[in-house]
Amino acid sequence: MKRVVLLFAILGIVLNSAQPVVAQERTAVKQGFELKANSGKRILVFRPTVRVGSQSTGGLFEPNADWTDQARANIEASLDEMQTRLGNEVIEAPDAFGEEAQNLQEHMELFSAISRSVINYQFFVGQRLPTKKRDNRNDVFDWSLGPSVADLPGADQADYGLFIFNKDAYGSTGRKILQGLALLGGIGVQSGEHQGFAGLVDLKTGDILWLNADFAMGGDPRKPEGAEKRMRQLLEEFPGSAADEE
Amino acid sequence: MRNKGTAMTRRRVIGFCITVAAFLSFSPAVAETAPLPPPYAGLYQPQGVDEIGWWQVDDEQEQALINSPVLIRDEKLTAYVKDVLCRTVGYDRCSATRVYLLREPTFNASMTMNGTMRVFSGLLLRTRNEAELASVLGHEFGHFEMRHGLQRFKARRSGSDVQAWASLLAGLSNNYHLRRSVQDLNLQIYGSYFRFSRDNEREADLLGLGYLNASNLRPQAASHVWQNLMAEKEASALSRGLKRPKFNRIAFFASHPPQKERATYLSALAVTEDDEREYGTERYREAMADWLPVFLDDQIKLNDFGGSDFIIEGLSGAGWTADLWFARGQLYRDRGHPRDLVNAVEFYRLAISEDPDMAEAYRGLGLSLFKLGKRREGQTFLRRYLELAPQASDAKMIRMMAPDEPKEENEQ
Repeated sequence: MKRVVLLFAILGIVLNSAQPVVAQERTAVKQGFELKANSGKRILVFRPTVRVGSQSTGGLFEPNADWTDQARANIEASLDEMQTRLGNEVIEAPDAFGEEAQNLQEHMELFSAISRSVINYQFFVGQRLPTKKRDNRNDVFDWSLGPSVADLPGADQADYGLFIFNKDAYGSTGRKILQGLALLGGIGVQSGEHQGFAGLVDLKTGDILWLNADFAMGGDPRKPEGAEKRMRQLLEEFPGSAADEE
Repeated sequence: MRNKGTAMTRRRVIGFCITVAAFLSFSPAVAETAPLPPPYAGLYQPQGVDEIGWWQVDDEQEQALINSPVLIRDEKLTAYVKDVLCRTVGYDRCSATRVYLLREPTFNASMTMNGTMRVFSGLLLRTRNEAELASVLGHEFGHFEMRHGLQRFKARRSGSDVQAWASLLAGLSNNYHLRRSVQDLNLQIYGSYFRFSRDNEREADLLGLGYLNASNLRPQAASHVWQNLMAEKEASALSRGLKRPKFNRIAFFASHPPQKERATYLSALAVTEDDEREYGTERYREAMADWLPVFLDDQIKLNDFGGSDFIIEGLSGAGWTADLWFARGQLYRDRGHPRDLVNAVEFYRLAISEDPDMAEAYRGLGLSLFKLGKRREGQTFLRRYLELAPQASDAKMIRMMAPDEPKEENEQ
């Protein structure tokens, strides 16, 4: 037993993979928010953050440009298709320049910071704040980007904004061999990381209406079918999709 | 167990030592200089999956940088800095990189794998002429030319691979000695990351110096940058009552060689016959003139009294200007002891004598006098500030401190 604990310690320090101990997934909806299917809402999709690469034997992320390009194209296509199926209209974010682009950049970073806060301090066991735990018990989800989202390019033509983050690191051959050999010795080594977050924002008030975080996604976004499966998982509990979507 | 990373860095270090030893063994008449840069081979495109992948990541980050609030959006200044780079490394080569100036008051510059060069405003404040700036820009360009970013990534990847296998081996066995060996190996590998980084920095230094040697700027300036930085750090430490820092120690986690070593070899390997070369001090001062007060203000807000005072005195080499006196006044008023306020009053008066319409100087003078207990005298100057800058953001607050006087005869 002591030997296994010591080994976990050594491997944990040395292998640079920063994954949570348990693969987790969680969704939250703002209290009182409802989005019925086929309500014809216009959803502005901001440029998804997509990074696909491989994971080296030691756990480092190795970016791969081809895979990232393929994944981005597939994800954007399947997102479009999914929302249309739900009866909503998808508007792609228009190109922004100059001050508008700076404003958009800041808001995307802001959303990223807020979703990191939600994940660290409300969603997953580890560093949850007492007030956020209380919110969880009362089904309260109260986060906002602030009303300045109304000035973002394209915000005047849409009701809601959708942010997508996707990061894949496929285990390299060395990593898989390491995993196999470690398993022979009774030690668990994770090969590959597949993380995805998605958030829906009200473009008038900036409130986050829905947020989904998943640290162990399925589907291979480098292929169209895989991207579809990925998007289906990510938008699993998207408001209005409860009834028939798989 | 062989570690490719340390074997390669050991070869580099040996190579460097041989170069320096070779120099030292020469008589002074035959001076060794930094090697000439390689000939230009055309616009470089990334090769291999790693490099192409990282260039894509860097491209996205560059786009984010362009939209970042810390970017200095002064096209004239950016073009000037880019021009200094191009004059140093050649106009053909420099088109592969983009230069971005960031409003960040610390001394630093960086280069990414895809050619994005970031220059901090703290660097622009501390370099005193074009030659000094060119030495730093050439150094960063050297990183790009030698593809250090990619090499560093590959070294970290190999090192962490070895660590993973070694840890697995240690974990599967029950041998205490093997585990101790693995711990030592881990330390050695971590050390090799930083040693590799230091060797890359030395290589970039030499390449930058090679460019400078071949340009028409004085290459001794490269060493001056580090000498000035060491002097600034000393001034900063002494003003806080700390011991004089040691500049020749190499820390375990040091990513750069010690500053003393850099100053030494940059001085030794620079070309010395430079009758026709110039420093470019005048042109540099002129280019920085508009931004100097801003950069000085940022520096003072870092709350480093000794360092800021050193920088201001360094800038006064060409004569004290209103901006410099004003900055010095701000610095002393910021520390705020009564003896400092007395000095600040003097500095603000000198600023006003050079530039009688400098509103901020009147403000500083008035506030200093207030704090010294000379309220009436302070109010006179605060009223002058309000006259010169009625729309200032703190006008209402200052007006509360210095309400308009009722009209009196023979009012001075």
